[in-house]
Amino acid sequence: MAQKEVLGTPPEGIHPTYPYKVVLLGSTSVGKSSLAYRYVKNDFKESLPTVGCSFFTQMLNMEVATVKLEIWDTAGQEKYQSVCHLYYRGAHAALLVYDITNKETLNRAKLWLRDLEKEFLPDEIVIALVGNKVDLAAEREVATEEGEEFARTRGLLFMETSAKSNYQVNDIFMAIARELLQREQEKARAPSPHGRSTVTLGESRVRTGCCRL
Amino acid sequence: EYEEKTGRAHKPLSPKQNVRKNLDFEPLSTTALILEDRPANLPAKPAEEAQKHRQQYEEMVVQAKKRELKEAQKRKKQLEERCKLEESIGNAVLTWNNEILPNWETMCCSRKVRELWWQGIPPSVRGKVWSLAIGNELNITHELYDICLARAKEKWRSLSTGVAEVEGEDAGFSAADREASLELIKLDISRTFPNLCIFQQGGPYHDTLHSILGAYTCYRPDVGYVQGMSFIAAVLILNLDTADAFIAFSNLLNKPCQMAFFRVDHGLMLTYFAAFEVFFEENLPKLFAHFKKNNLTPDIYLIDWIFTLYSKSLPLDLACRVWDVFCRDGEEFLFRTALGILKLFEDILTKMDFIHIAQFLTKLPEDLPSEELFTSIAAIQMQSRNKKWAQILAALQKDNREMEKGSPSLKR
Repeated sequence: MAQKEVLGTPPEGIHPTYPYKVVLLGSTSVGKSSLAYRYVKNDFKESLPTVGCSFFTQMLNMEVATVKLEIWDTAGQEKYQSVCHLYYRGAHAALLVYDITNKETLNRAKLWLRDLEKEFLPDEIVIALVGNKVDLAAEREVATEEGEEFARTRGLLFMETSAKSNYQVNDIFMAIARELLQREQEKARAPSPHGRSTVTLGESRVRTGCCRL
Repeated sequence: EYEEKTGRAHKPLSPKQNVRKNLDFEPLSTTALILEDRPANLPAKPAEEAQKHRQQYEEMVVQAKKRELKEAQKRKKQLEERCKLEESIGNAVLTWNNEILPNWETMCCSRKVRELWWQGIPPSVRGKVWSLAIGNELNITHELYDICLARAKEKWRSLSTGVAEVEGEDAGFSAADREASLELIKLDISRTFPNLCIFQQGGPYHDTLHSILGAYTCYRPDVGYVQGMSFIAAVLILNLDTADAFIAFSNLLNKPCQMAFFRVDHGLMLTYFAAFEVFFEENLPKLFAHFKKNNLTPDIYLIDWIFTLYSKSLPLDLACRVWDVFCRDGEEFLFRTALGILKLFEDILTKMDFIHIAQFLTKLPEDLPSEELFTSIAAIQMQSRNKKWAQILAALQKDNREMEKGSPSLKR
């Protein structure tokens, strides 16, 4: 596509816009809707249970391009899983959300990862593992290291967040946007082996843990 | 009040101040004209100017009077309309109670009743009408409800004390599954109509909602609790006594469309969506083409609307009116309502792209006007090339079955 070539060698004055589909997956009540609501509206309120899917958009002005995130916030109940399959098709990024006070939700996130890995090739989708509700540290069941270690071995972005106290919510979406743009640039460079690869925003594919404070 | 105001306007008022203060003066009310003499330290006005000002003043008073008269007439009309509405609701209650309900079997399908029904069932008889219309095919008695509830309570107890359960008739549904489901009910109750503040912990209907959902998971362990159910049960609780609400709830969920959705029978859901699209194209071809072009499939908005019977997406009073006619016309009215919503917002939806349509339809405007919506729904024809909803749906189901038979490799 023409747009992608533009990104590889951006001519003066051209600031392309990239729309990306980002899907939130995870058990019920881990805070998927709350994360989306905090990120887009910078507010926290008790969400109604999501039935089907709800939608959010956010524009991000990055250095090389404008990123338009189209956020698909899916229903969490396991019974809805076959419906959720409809929703992650064609996604550019996925946030696998678990609740740090509920170990079972991390296992569920791992199952989601398995599903995604069946559907996508590794370079087709950016996946982040997100441990939400760090404001409830006293009830923690999943150690930070546990989530982090799992993410590292599987090549996922990782962050712990709190939609309630607004901790690292912006950061995780920003990290995803950066990773998406970087992949876009790598893809644009790849077809022309003679092109000079001077721009390197990050060295490795596996960028786990880089986002932790 | 009106006479008092116009009476005051007859008092001689000085025009000067108003002219002086504000050249663009528009008399919003005659009471705004204040009596004031010209200050003594100023020279007298020339006669011509005084005459002109008097004339201007008189014109203003005339205008103000006219306006007040108009407003008074409007208020009177509004009052009359309200009285008429209240009277018609009162009359409707009488008609429902004295004529229709005692002769339900013979009258429920008459033209007159159907028309009255369309206008909305008065809240005081709503529960009764819903119960009768939904019926009790499952023959659930109050005793059966008590038994299911007792069983649910036993489960809650054994879960909280950690006593291992004897595997009974619902073996095959793992203990973890059931536990998750019971936990989820607890969680969702507090997230059901939170702004009404009656289903939350400590609220008057918290235990009722908990009981009905718990009893249902014991009555139908094969279906269990599915998110969205709490809204349906809550709407029924608002209109019926507990046991009757349970009976209506179980029978409602037992209808083919609801069963397809709550069992998340994906293939059947897609058939419903396909039937919906037949009528979508027929009624709103332009919008249909726009949705197709943007890859906007019906599941995006229909799932939420159908699962919760609009109780989560429409204002509650409006949702109840949709339920009224849904009880009269059955599942096809759910899809007709969807088309009515799309028709109502056709112009703005045609100008939106995928994500904005999706956002709009999954979060409808809170001030959605009920009369306009029902006018819009009324304009939707549920006939496509002389075929009705049920026929189209049956034909699509048949096609699906044949396709599955023909190519077993395509089976999911």
